[in-house]
Amino acid sequence: MKRVVLVLLAASLAAYAANISGKVTAGKGASVVYVDAIAGKTFPAPAKPQMMDQKQLLFVPHILVVQVGTTVEFLNSDKVAHNIFWPAISGNKKLGHNLGTWPTGQKRDFKFDTPGIVPLLCNVHPEMSGFLVVAPTPYFAETDAEGNFKIADVPAGSYTLVAWHEGMKTPQSKPVTVSGDVTVDFALSK
Amino acid sequence: MRRWTLKLRRLPKTCIPAGILIAPLLLSTINTRSYAIPAFSRQYGTSCTTCHLDFPKLNDFGKAFKDAGFKFPKDDETFLKTPPVMLGAPAQKDVWPHTVWPGTIPGMPPIGLRMNNFTQFTGTNASRFNALAAPGTVAPVIPTSDFETGFFSVFMAGNFGSDIAFWVDDDLSVSGDNSAGGLGDGYLKFVNVGRFLKLPTDSLSIRTGQFELDLPFTQARSINISPYDIYTESNVGAINSMVALQQNVANQFSFAESQKGIEFSGGHSYGGYHYSVAIIDQNTSAVDQASNNNAYVPSATGGSNGGVGFASDSSLKDIYARFSYRFNLEKDSESRHSVQAAGTTGPRDHTFLSLGTFYLHGKSQQGIVGADASGNPSTLYAREPYYRAGGDFNFNYRNFNLFGLYMFARDNNLLPVDSSGALIPLPVGSTAAVPVGFISSVPAKFNGGFVQADYLVLPWIMAIGRWDGVNSSADRINGLALNSGTAYFGPLNSTRNRFTPGIQFLIHPNIKASFEYQFRPKQFAQVVTDPSTGLQEPLSPFRVNTAVVALEFVY
Repeated sequence: MKRVVLVLLAASLAAYAANISGKVTAGKGASVVYVDAIAGKTFPAPAKPQMMDQKQLLFVPHILVVQVGTTVEFLNSDKVAHNIFWPAISGNKKLGHNLGTWPTGQKRDFKFDTPGIVPLLCNVHPEMSGFLVVAPTPYFAETDAEGNFKIADVPAGSYTLVAWHEGMKTPQSKPVTVSGDVTVDFALSK
Repeated sequence: MRRWTLKLRRLPKTCIPAGILIAPLLLSTINTRSYAIPAFSRQYGTSCTTCHLDFPKLNDFGKAFKDAGFKFPKDDETFLKTPPVMLGAPAQKDVWPHTVWPGTIPGMPPIGLRMNNFTQFTGTNASRFNALAAPGTVAPVIPTSDFETGFFSVFMAGNFGSDIAFWVDDDLSVSGDNSAGGLGDGYLKFVNVGRFLKLPTDSLSIRTGQFELDLPFTQARSINISPYDIYTESNVGAINSMVALQQNVANQFSFAESQKGIEFSGGHSYGGYHYSVAIIDQNTSAVDQASNNNAYVPSATGGSNGGVGFASDSSLKDIYARFSYRFNLEKDSESRHSVQAAGTTGPRDHTFLSLGTFYLHGKSQQGIVGADASGNPSTLYAREPYYRAGGDFNFNYRNFNLFGLYMFARDNNLLPVDSSGALIPLPVGSTAAVPVGFISSVPAKFNGGFVQADYLVLPWIMAIGRWDGVNSSADRINGLALNSGTAYFGPLNSTRNRFTPGIQFLIHPNIKASFEYQFRPKQFAQVVTDPSTGLQEPLSPFRVNTAVVALEFVY
């Protein structure tokens, strides 16, 4: 009887999902917070591709967060030539890539199998800058204008929470245990 | 450049050889104007490199931007980060002619500024100048190194809507001298006016004001520190009294100068055909029209009250025409017809070959005090037809650009004669016979050109190799006379050439460090008489090579 109760209790805890929320204090613009890779745990890649546009000489959106394994479609909506390349992923230059160029209104796909920060650049318009944050788990969020974030439905457990902001040298990590709604704040500096 | 040519105009004829003598040295220290337009960066929120390779050299997109009247070739309004100010609602067009046709002005003042400085190192041969000063005289010294203040300039450009573009650039100070600057280009361009005549798109535009002619390769916006020699060459005939064959030619025209007039043009500079025909003021006699300011002389703004007076010294107008065709050599048809070519790693300039030709025709006017057929005092005008004709090529493969130009110049030569038909030696002195007319003699000619190779080693490093040549027998003859006040003569040979390697670094997109080494033309400081021929010959030719470093920024 005791054993049955313990099993049921453990099962109910595992099934429990909570929210991780908090505030990131950083510079101007949005930050990204995500749950880092969980040892021994994998997640199916999303089937739906995500879109990064080039419009009016800007990357739109400026920051796009996707789960690892996601295919990103790069669209050129401008009536000028563009290209997209990234010199590295999280500083690893071996993962740099140049997607080339394609006409107005057309797009080119790329599947991101490596988690990390992908700085997107255009070699025709060097002022253009965008970021792709490839999160290792499906638990991620972008902060609002005040720096607040909320990652919903995170299963109970102990994780590493990572916060990233454009212009900060390295992401900041904090351990977090989810057994109910939890609040974690970050203060990022250069 | 402008400063130099303006001063040259005011030189009396007797000093022209001196001008020829010192020109090569001056040209080594006075750079060409060059502009990139930070105002566009601000308006569109984009980098200089969107339009420039190594400012002010335009890439294919920059050429298309300029062709379109300083606008993005397509959907310009969507790229403007600062919206233009409406000078009337667009719907006002429906009410026209009972309202002023609405236009726009840039949302922020489209002003850019530019400053540069130079450091020059002169070869040890300069000592040959310094050592040959006549005893008891103090000749100008050519230092082995020199820090030089350059140009501080303001420039504005943009579009007023309805495809009306504008450009103004002005040197506020030159060499730190606020009175030495002046207007470079200042014009309005009515882009694609052919649409009113149902002509093909961009087949006819009109530009009017003061502008650099549609030269095959721009001088005003060149990346080089020193100007192209052939562009700065004016045709001054052999007027040295030591030679029998004189030339009454002192044509001050040079391609390096901006011209005043109107220009019709069409086509594109980034692919296909391009043409231009300009009708410009003629001013070849070096007569300073600013002094023509009598209150009874009609003038647009009242020359006697500080107005503009006259620019031309003649009713004659010169005509300049140019035609070129650029073959974009991309295999892919869509890429070939696009503004920029599509490369595997991104858009880039086309691989292309451009061939062109140009022709300028005018009449150089020289006035001489003489007498008419009845012996009454009269001013005689020799109106000497002249032309400049040439061809050019431009080849680009990826980051390598090879281009060049050849030009031939010819001025008719009308020599003054007295009532007996005898030639009157030049310059006509007060005791000489009275001229009553002219006879045609041997024309004054020169030819030359340049070839330049640019290689963009990295997006911020440009390597340059350039050869300039000018072949003018009149220059040589004029150079046989020692210039008073200096210790040297003019160019030694009828052919003077120089090789100029250089390298430029973009420290930032708007800051550039340039280096140029000039293997300068041969000169000489002694002339001897050849005992066998009795002719004067130069002795001990030498070159004064020069290294120039420039730092330039625009903002």
